[in-house]
Amino acid sequence: MKELQLWFGLLARLVLGGVLLLAGYLKYDELDKSQMAVRAYEMLPVPLANFIGLVLPFFEIGMGLLLILGAGIRFTAALSVLLMVVFVIGISQAWARGLSIDCGCFGGGGQVEPGTANYLTPLLRDTGFLALGIYLFRYPQSKFALDKTPPPAAIEKGI
Amino acid sequence: MSTKPKPGKDNFTRNLVIGVVVGVILIMLVPTLISKQTDTSAKIPASVSAERGYGVVFNGELTGVPVIDVYEDFQCPVCAQFEAAQGDYLESLIEEKKATVVFHTLSFIGTESVLAANAAACSADEDKFLALHKMLYQTQPKENSGAWTNESLVSAGNSVGISSESFEKCVNTGEYAGWVNNVAAAAAQEDVNSTPTVFINGNELKRGNEYYDRALFKAAVERG
Repeated sequence: MKELQLWFGLLARLVLGGVLLLAGYLKYDELDKSQMAVRAYEMLPVPLANFIGLVLPFFEIGMGLLLILGAGIRFTAALSVLLMVVFVIGISQAWARGLSIDCGCFGGGGQVEPGTANYLTPLLRDTGFLALGIYLFRYPQSKFALDKTPPPAAIEKGI
Repeated sequence: MSTKPKPGKDNFTRNLVIGVVVGVILIMLVPTLISKQTDTSAKIPASVSAERGYGVVFNGELTGVPVIDVYEDFQCPVCAQFEAAQGDYLESLIEEKKATVVFHTLSFIGTESVLAANAAACSADEDKFLALHKMLYQTQPKENSGAWTNESLVSAGNSVGISSESFEKCVNTGEYAGWVNNVAAAAAQEDVNSTPTVFINGNELKRGNEYYDRALFKAAVERG
């Protein structure tokens, strides 16, 4: 059972890390578009949205690499949970307010023609990644990780 | 948990990896952040106004007429539709001095957009912006297909009657690349999230039929 859990940990790391790496990679040389995508959510003041649009792809690439390599899993998983919560909130509010935007999750983004926006797919997808992130935060132990297995005390304290 | 922790020993690799990843990301990020700043020393073409978001301005001297700001990307297919639907009308407004029209040539689709925007700026110096603008949309290739090179843009210029050496040099050296970047930065500050986006007297025209229907667009312009 423990063994199976370690393999599942590896799978979770590779899926979540791979998705973050891909998402960052697809955005990092289209930064104008990435900025558009963040602005289109209309959640943040324009200068802050522009800054996040520039930084986010790099951030995602870094998190993705660390998860795949298995370095600092717990911390990185916590960050990705935070990120996914923000994404879910962003997409939900866009949906609720009736904005017509592309999620811009894997490149692209910005406004789209009214009636063509799709919010359900990215919402379900991000919820799935959120679950993986929570799992990795709770059980960071996994196969082929650079992290040392954390001492049991750290797990109990829930750091 | 198949192995017992060996304290102090092999967290070294892990910490090294974290350090390298974070370090490399920061090293890549900093120049990117700097390159997205507006470069006020960049050379700007004739008829461009920094106060108007670095756009190419026509009839900037008029007062009491509608001001139409068009944000576009030469590679954007919907922009080609917009140009096909409204290009003649915009040109007639410019010719008859009935409106101030500002073209903001964005470049978010890729490097070929940058090349095209640079070439358009070069054509503004030759007083042929509108002609090349129309030509590029009429012959718009698939996005980032490699069809737009400096060479092909020079011949596009030739085909609308620009034959000067200065144009060729301007295109080939990417003379206005810094300006192209400034246009993008200004549009980002203006919260333009899609192309084409049209502002009439500073109010964004809602995405929809008004962009593609001549009568509706005309009505929107005349409403002001």
